[in-house]
Amino acid sequence: MTAKSSRPLRILLAKLGLDTHTVGITVVAHALREAGMEVIFAGLKQTPEMVVSAAIQEDVDVIGISSLSAGHTRSLPRLARLLREQGGADKLLIVGGVIPEEDQPLLEAAGVARIFTMGTDTREIARYLNDWWLARLARAEPATRTEPSAPPRQ
Amino acid sequence: MSTISKLVTPTPETAPGDGATSPLAQARASWERETRAPYVAANPDRETPPRSQALRWPVEPLYTPADLDAVGFDYLKDLGFPGQYPFTRGTNPNGHRSKLWTMTQVTGFGRGEDWSKRARFMLEQGLQGLILEYDLPTTNGYDSDDPLVEGEVGRAGLAIDSLQDLKRALDLPFERLRYLMSVCNAPQPVNLAMLIAALEDKGVDLSKFGLTIVNGILIEYTCVGRYIYPPVHGLRVATDCMEYIIRHHPNWAPISIISAQLQPAKATPVQELAFSLTIAMAYIDALLARGFGIDEVAPYFHFVINVDMDFFEGICKLRAFRKMWARLMKERYGATTPEAMRIRTLTSPTTTALTLQQPLNNIGRLAIMATACALGGAGETMSTPLHDEAHSLPAEQAIRVGAAIQHLVAHETGVVDTIDPLAGSYYVESLTRRIEDAATEEIARIDKLGGALKAIETGYFQRALGREQYERNREIEQGRRKWVGVNHLVLPDEKREIKIFRLDERVEIEQIARLRELRAHRDEAQVARLLEAVREAARGGANLVPPCMAAVRADATHGELCNAMRDVFGVHKPDSQLAGM
Repeated sequence: MTAKSSRPLRILLAKLGLDTHTVGITVVAHALREAGMEVIFAGLKQTPEMVVSAAIQEDVDVIGISSLSAGHTRSLPRLARLLREQGGADKLLIVGGVIPEEDQPLLEAAGVARIFTMGTDTREIARYLNDWWLARLARAEPATRTEPSAPPRQ
Repeated sequence: MSTISKLVTPTPETAPGDGATSPLAQARASWERETRAPYVAANPDRETPPRSQALRWPVEPLYTPADLDAVGFDYLKDLGFPGQYPFTRGTNPNGHRSKLWTMTQVTGFGRGEDWSKRARFMLEQGLQGLILEYDLPTTNGYDSDDPLVEGEVGRAGLAIDSLQDLKRALDLPFERLRYLMSVCNAPQPVNLAMLIAALEDKGVDLSKFGLTIVNGILIEYTCVGRYIYPPVHGLRVATDCMEYIIRHHPNWAPISIISAQLQPAKATPVQELAFSLTIAMAYIDALLARGFGIDEVAPYFHFVINVDMDFFEGICKLRAFRKMWARLMKERYGATTPEAMRIRTLTSPTTTALTLQQPLNNIGRLAIMATACALGGAGETMSTPLHDEAHSLPAEQAIRVGAAIQHLVAHETGVVDTIDPLAGSYYVESLTRRIEDAATEEIARIDKLGGALKAIETGYFQRALGREQYERNREIEQGRRKWVGVNHLVLPDEKREIKIFRLDERVEIEQIARLRELRAHRDEAQVARLLEAVREAARGGANLVPPCMAAVRADATHGELCNAMRDVFGVHKPDSQLAGM
């Protein structure tokens, strides 16, 4: 662990569209917080526009979308595109929930880094994010990257 | 859960009224020493100690009369007789010997005619009542062509944009249908107005038909999430609907507390009782503030209660529910009639016990949970979920099996032949009392916060449930609790062999086309005027149902009416604290 890894990973969790099944996202929020990450909840019934704007405003490292309903084949590619267009290409986009196998290649091609299907162990999600975060910090090391200065938050 | 951890079973040695010197205590101690201990030394408990499923209370190896003494059990005070206060042994004086429960299932998908076709099929399978679930655009107060709802129309329930849609759905044999429950909470005044208008247009005798509206907005804020307006306005909207029904259709059911929705959000039986009952009290207080009396309104309250796989937690919860309702109505509100103290319930096996893996196992789970419902007292109605629910909307075969499960519990097991057959069990009676006592403490805590509305506005309920969700999930992940197919007897590379119901993609396109057609052929000026009347009622405090009724009859749409109220009430936007995260 480098000194820089002392800044915890910041993740924005959100639900898109009208699906209001929150047990999964709540459990993930608790588990990631327990794993030392900083978790921000964007809310229910979000549009891709709302999530991207919150991600940029909150300067998060990762966006985690929970989906247990339809619509992800349209909304997630749109979210990924908006993220690139608005200067958030370095942010990791992951999704969890009920994602039929046949939809997965489409989402991955659109820019979803990882899909966690229903029943995934939350420790696996934390491990994946932690590995990604350490790799990202290691990559940033040789450059004269300054400590990210996040805006004050509650 | 600090209060609960205190509530371990008292050991027989410390039980009041049964000192260590009583013959029972001596006999028990000698059994423990001479018979059980040597056996356990060679064959230890599989878990130390075993804990109940949701409460995670330690379960003793053996319960005796000492456990009844420990909670101060008194037959007449705690149980009484069936059909009499405090109704612990059931609300019907003859249990299920005269009448079985009404057997229902939930259904809802597609357009009006799709729903009607499925509902007819269900009635042909021997069901007498139906629960009508709407799609997410409808329950969240949007029309099918709203950009936010793309891909959701008709998917998780029936799509309703206008009175015309509901009339197509209610094309049913009303001589066979006794009971309809409509689940559309946040937009309830609009939904109620449409239901009344549609039933009137069908020529149904409204005084003989049983309509239940769930109208359960406070649980939506607590855990379900299908809210629109801020909680205080949500409560007002719900109260308008209750008041309208009580005044105009006194034979209907204007409120159902779906305790069953707290249960998949991982509420313990204690939380379920305390949250559901304080939520009911928030509605009661709102009705009393409108000039009703407690004896007048209490009989209208209806509860939907699920049981999970822990047989005894479920059975004891059902018994505690009946008793606590009776006691609250009598002692807290001063109700005087038995009708005001007698709880009305629909019981059901929970969907959360069902697994995506090895779905046929769910038939076994459903039969066990339906048996627990019958043993705990099914109440007026039982609904069974279906074994393929985790996969998709139910296939027809699953509906048939689901209906058969209720019939085999009723006709083949004998559990309904005598009333409340588990009464007097040392375990059942002591657990019922301990659940009741802990729930009474939790109610006192919620009272201190200012009641259910305040508990919701401050996120107390939501955070309590969030913690339970995390803890229950951790138990499964760490293998502390076995769940067949999930972390026990897992089939690697499992092939799913059940038939999946798939909705035709054209439903959304056709529904939107139909909505646009409707808007093109109505009197726009009249619709605008009637929507303004709804805003006026929302601002001024007049009951919202009559202006909604006038507007739906002029083909104002569901989303337009909800928007008119959004204009006045605003929308609810919880942060992570209020979302329980």
